Amino acid sequence: MTADFGIKIEGVSHAYPGTQGLNAAGTLALKQTDLLIRHHEFHALLGPSGCGKSTLLYLIGGFIPVQTGSISTQKGPVTAPGPDRSIVFQNFALFPWKTVLENVMYGLQKKGLPEAECRDIAQAHIKLVQLSGFEQAYPSQLSGGMQQRAAIARTLAVDPDILLMDEPFGALDAQTRRVMQEELRMIWKRRPKTVVFVTHDVHEAVFLADRISIMSARPGRIEHQIDTGLGPERDESTLTDRRFVELGEQIWRLVREQAVLASRGGL
Amino acid sequence: MSPLSLIRHRDRLLQALVLVGLVSVWELSSRAGWVHPFLLPPPSDVLARLFADMQSGAVFVDLGLTLYRAVTGFVIAAVLAVPLGILMARRRGVQWFFDPLISIGFPMPKIAFVPIFILWFDIYDTSKVIMITFSCFFPIVTATYSGTSHIDKWPLWSARSLGASESELLREIILPLASPAILTGLQIALPVGMITTIVTEMLMGGSGVGGAMIAAGRFADSVGVFAGIIEIAILGMVVIRALDWLRARLLVWHPENRAH
Ligand SMILES: Nc1ncnc2c1ncn2[C@@H]1O[C@H](COP(=O)(O)OP(=O)(O)OP(=O)(O)O)[C@@H](O)[C@H]1O
Ligand SMILES: [Mg+2]
Repeated sequence: MTADFGIKIEGVSHAYPGTQGLNAAGTLALKQTDLLIRHHEFHALLGPSGCGKSTLLYLIGGFIPVQTGSISTQKGPVTAPGPDRSIVFQNFALFPWKTVLENVMYGLQKKGLPEAECRDIAQAHIKLVQLSGFEQAYPSQLSGGMQQRAAIARTLAVDPDILLMDEPFGALDAQTRRVMQEELRMIWKRRPKTVVFVTHDVHEAVFLADRISIMSARPGRIEHQIDTGLGPERDESTLTDRRFVELGEQIWRLVREQAVLASRGGL
Repeated sequence: MSPLSLIRHRDRLLQALVLVGLVSVWELSSRAGWVHPFLLPPPSDVLARLFADMQSGAVFVDLGLTLYRAVTGFVIAAVLAVPLGILMARRRGVQWFFDPLISIGFPMPKIAFVPIFILWFDIYDTSKVIMITFSCFFPIVTATYSGTSHIDKWPLWSARSLGASESELLREIILPLASPAILTGLQIALPVGMITTIVTEMLMGGSGVGGAMIAAGRFADSVGVFAGIIEIAILGMVVIRALDWLRARLLVWHPENRAH
């Protein structure tokens, strides 16, 4: 009954309409993108800025309608957002009028869990992202990195089957980032799920992912796909693994190639 | 006391002194006969009248009536205008139907409808409250509509992906996100409502501060007219402060209420 794919993206193009006068023709963000993400795979997405990574996540999330091609999950074609596909947005998108605790509890309440259980699960995830003591703070009282961690907690708390993350550690300092990477990998191992993880950090991608896709400069397509083949265990020692270092260099070259093309494209 | 709060206290004190100075000049010019005391009665007489009316309770009857009419009209307007404004921003059909009506109604001087409302609803409280509702309605619906149209899509997307249904989205996400704009609309509508209350009382009678002032005017009681002005000033200040307080309470989360 279960298909062997997590997310199937076939021939997806996406054009943003232009504004009158300025860029009237619009922007083609994705062009004929094909990508098969395996069931419960940790998949990282790399590519130059503006190549359409966020756009692809929004399409999978169902936030913007699919114009051409198709996207489906085990639940069938994607048509609207739903709690089976939770997302951490690049800009956090917290609820500004809710405290950190209320933010994290929201998705749990929508699942219909009893209040006490919502609170416990929320507290556990707030602790996980090291925000204990800030449960009653409003987002506007937090630093960028703290807001980002609150958003991660809110999304992880609902334990979705498909987890979409758009540069989720982008606002964190190097140490916190490392801790969060290990936590995320652990959560994923404990409760397997399909993860699509967008990042600009090549080593972060290699450390976390089972497979890595590299997108071309805009209009984006999947240009390369690489199996990391690093095995399920990732820890300090992974960082010095010869394969880890080699992969890092190889992928760095491929990403750089696309970034150079992007800058030549006269963006 | 910190130096900053000392400066702030000194500022307040100086401002109060300016006020006292102006009232003293008023008192002096009236007492000295530089202006005719009938046209500009001395403030001490006005205050004495206010105290006498407070003792007899007449002030409280008038203030109470005015406050009751203003608040009733205002609250009915809010209850109708806020949901309509939100629906206009979220449902194309509702927007299609109401937008032209509101574009015409918003800039229109609502007070022009007094004669027709008197014909339709008579001159008693119903007619006054409808007039007040009518004048408060447009600023609230306009502010709610524009505020709701301009809310950020990100919290909406978050809520949808966390499992919120369409109706939950309206109540739990859109309403709080639009609340700063809605409160601004209410803050614009409140003084409009106060003005309308006083004017309808003046035109239709039936006591209240406006009615009492017109009555005083008819009896050439200039002290009574000035007493009415002071009552309105105080009432207006109190209701507007109350709404400011409500805004600060409701928007504790908003950066506008954060110390820098
Ligand atoms: N709402 C929009 N309207 C018009 N154009 C848009 C819109 N959103 C994105 N674009 C354009 O689509 C292209 C892809 O944007 P997208 O945000 O998907 O890139 P990205 O790969 O996530 O970039 P980054 O790494 O900088 O986050 C960009 O060229 C951008 O200018
Ligand atoms: Mg992006």
